[in-house]
Amino acid sequence: MAHDKNVDKAKRRFLTHVTTSVGAVGTGVAVVPFVSSMQPSARAKAAGAPVEVDISRLEPGRLLKVEWRGKPVWILRRTEEMLATLEADEPGLADPNSSESDQPAYATGRTRSIRPGILVLVGVCTHLGCSPLDKFDTGGTVGQVHDWPGGFFCPCHGSTFDLSGRVYKNVPAPRNLPVPPHSFKDDNTILVGIDHADETGKA
Amino acid sequence: MKRTVFLICLLLAPLAATAAGGNGQLDEVKIDLRDKQALQRGARLFVNFCLSCHSAGYMRYDRMGKDLGIPEAVLKDNFLFSAHRPGDLMKATMPHDDAKLWFGTAPPDLSLVARSRGPEWFYTYMRSFYQDEVSPSGWNNRVFPHVAMPHVLYEWQGTQQAIFHKDEHGQQHFERFELTKAGSMSPEEYDAAMHDLTNFMVYLGEPAKLHRYNIGVFVLIFMAIFTLLMYALKKEYWTDVK
Amino acid sequence: MEKFMQWIDERYPLTETYNEHLAKYYAPKNFNWMYYFGSLALLMLVVQIVTGIFLTMHYKPDARLAFESVEYIMRDVPWGWLMRYLHAVGASFFFIVVYLHMLRGMLYGSHRSPRELLWLVGMVIFLCLMAEAFMGYLLPWGNMSYWGAQVIISLFGAIPYVGDGLTEWIRGDFVVADATLNRFFALHVIALPLVLAGLVFVHLIALHKVGSNNPDGIEIKKNKGPDGIPVDGIPFHPYYTVKDLVGVSVFLMIYFAVVFFMPEFFGWFLEHDNFTPANLLQTPTEIKPLWYFTPFYSILRATTNTLLPYLAGVALVTMVLAVMAVKNLIGRALIVGATVVFIAGLFTLEAKFWGVVLMGLSIVLLALLPWLDRSPVKSIRYRGWMYKTAITVFCINFLLLGWLGTQGVDETKTLLAQVGTIIYLLFFVLMPVYTSLDKTRPVPERLTK
Repeated sequence: MAHDKNVDKAKRRFLTHVTTSVGAVGTGVAVVPFVSSMQPSARAKAAGAPVEVDISRLEPGRLLKVEWRGKPVWILRRTEEMLATLEADEPGLADPNSSESDQPAYATGRTRSIRPGILVLVGVCTHLGCSPLDKFDTGGTVGQVHDWPGGFFCPCHGSTFDLSGRVYKNVPAPRNLPVPPHSFKDDNTILVGIDHADETGKA
Repeated sequence: MKRTVFLICLLLAPLAATAAGGNGQLDEVKIDLRDKQALQRGARLFVNFCLSCHSAGYMRYDRMGKDLGIPEAVLKDNFLFSAHRPGDLMKATMPHDDAKLWFGTAPPDLSLVARSRGPEWFYTYMRSFYQDEVSPSGWNNRVFPHVAMPHVLYEWQGTQQAIFHKDEHGQQHFERFELTKAGSMSPEEYDAAMHDLTNFMVYLGEPAKLHRYNIGVFVLIFMAIFTLLMYALKKEYWTDVK
Repeated sequence: MEKFMQWIDERYPLTETYNEHLAKYYAPKNFNWMYYFGSLALLMLVVQIVTGIFLTMHYKPDARLAFESVEYIMRDVPWGWLMRYLHAVGASFFFIVVYLHMLRGMLYGSHRSPRELLWLVGMVIFLCLMAEAFMGYLLPWGNMSYWGAQVIISLFGAIPYVGDGLTEWIRGDFVVADATLNRFFALHVIALPLVLAGLVFVHLIALHKVGSNNPDGIEIKKNKGPDGIPVDGIPFHPYYTVKDLVGVSVFLMIYFAVVFFMPEFFGWFLEHDNFTPANLLQTPTEIKPLWYFTPFYSILRATTNTLLPYLAGVALVTMVLAVMAVKNLIGRALIVGATVVFIAGLFTLEAKFWGVVLMGLSIVLLALLPWLDRSPVKSIRYRGWMYKTAITVFCINFLLLGWLGTQGVDETKTLLAQVGTIIYLLFFVLMPVYTSLDKTRPVPERLTK
């Protein structure tokens, strides 16, 4: 083995750099299929298609749970009494105007709904993903809230939400419960997962 | 080096032998997956006629729509059964158990038929139904003897008879078909329709086929560039070795 | 950086390992293209493990779901088709590379002293790889997977007394069933890859202990310069890393061409019948293993009652040769005794059993090469016409057996396979004779170009 003293160091370095770079680009591109194979598959996407829910038999003050994209979605038919509690809750809420939380533009404000009586929420606690329980019986203490006006309570870490899914102050959950995209196909049918009933497909 | 070439030839000889040794009885069919119009025509045929009994249970409607360039509204109006959503698998409308009762055997899933049997087989099969009093359905098929399926498209093709001749050992050999009653299509039109259907079945067997050739070209171009660079680098380093 | 390396080196021999196996591992400078296949085999192991991991994320080892989940990978999983083709085509390429790697060893005497253990470890790797491929082939749960497994597992049924119990134990059922699929999955994705990785590590350590052989079959370590470095050696890194990378990129080009343009490879890499789900009521019309098993499968099928007397003949020849080689009386008595028992067995037990034995023997014989080869030289370059003829006949015969294994049986083909089987055996049995008789040319001191 003999090292030639006349080796063109610059040429060798240049070639090494070019080849390494091209090789690195190739490896980088080769990683893409592997990483994207872990994205939701066509099956998962199909399962995420809009869900049609018949609410004709949903009694006032009752909650209906349906599955959408593998998540629980709640549909609550709120009574006049329930709606009346919303304003009184606000001093105790962390984000009463829902400015930080996730909801479509047509479901903002105090009621966070298209029709005040019908509330649609994704029933997943914004803390660590448990599904909160409904506590519609008023009075007593739930979590840290005395004289409970009715709402939702997360059993995992004690977060509390009002009847619009808005989170109370001083609980682990950082944000209000999200409202999924939804629309009314007719008076008694809700489509969960799409914004407008006349258009299908993407949410 | 001579030895190398010799060894490679040896290795390839049997490959070539099997590649050439196809079934001589099947008719040739040219597959062109770039012809989106033909694929769409084939898809329409498949959905209208095959899908009532046979599933393509590994395939989704929306994937087919996207791959073949069928707009979503058209897909919904012309291809989907009312109960289906675009993301659904293409399942037959006929319940599996009923089918078994009616035909004695459940119609098989057709997603992969062009891969397991080959496009030539499928193309020949679809054109080889003939009338046969002995068979319970009244139909027989040259490449699938005693098939349970009746000739669904006889109104298009018409009805044909198979002409056999006996050789000196008394064995029956197929000679040709004879049209006994013309259908609504001429033989050329019918062949063209079955060509479209076969083309679609090849796509249905492997939707990725539409993309993999294109990707492959880029991969090979890249590899060629990288090989050249690598070779130059190797030569540069090996100037050291005396 | 230097400080960091020092910190590491005080706790882990990183620089030392790097030097020992790359920067200061001196390899002969005259490697030819046959020497690419070692690193390529390592590359294929990595490719198979990586693609395998991603396939495992989507595959379902359940008889009701397996076939469907493979089609799910092919259609619904983003890029799933690529993972599947890389893995399925990769299996065939792995075997192409390994067979050429073994042929390289036989051509240049890489199995000869002091590399016998290296060769043996390699043979165990080959066996594990065959088991790995066989179990992986069941997983798609196509009709060919199913019946292929049925036939191969039934082989063990030929073993007298314990056979039937053994096959039931392997399958975990009375036929190939969900239980079989589930355990093959466990072995294919965990057990065998672990063993393979471990064995490959041992193979490399053994190689770096004795040093690489070369096309001249000359020990470069016998000719060291004043600095203690072999005169004909060059550091593996950078010289062979850059050279092997050239091999890798050419190889990948061929591999990718197949993956993207003809993954079925005319039904040789992915069989048409395997696109039909497993059907325990209907055997495919032509049932055959994948091409990399067919030479051995041919030997299995060729072992019929007609062949047994000829096998007895081969046994007698072996006995005579062994008796001549062994000088002490007890040894000779043992050899004669063993042969008599073997020949008696040939005519009492059924041919099916001997087929299995012969298939196993055909692999064991390969492992015995270091001791069967008596030539004073290693490389084919300095051997005489006898070995050159023998190995050419052996290669052609091996390919012929392989081709026959993919074909249906008829009289001529069975006869051909039987002749092939005898030739296969004689290549090994007669090797001590023709390698010691063969006229060799003198081996030079230094490597040639």
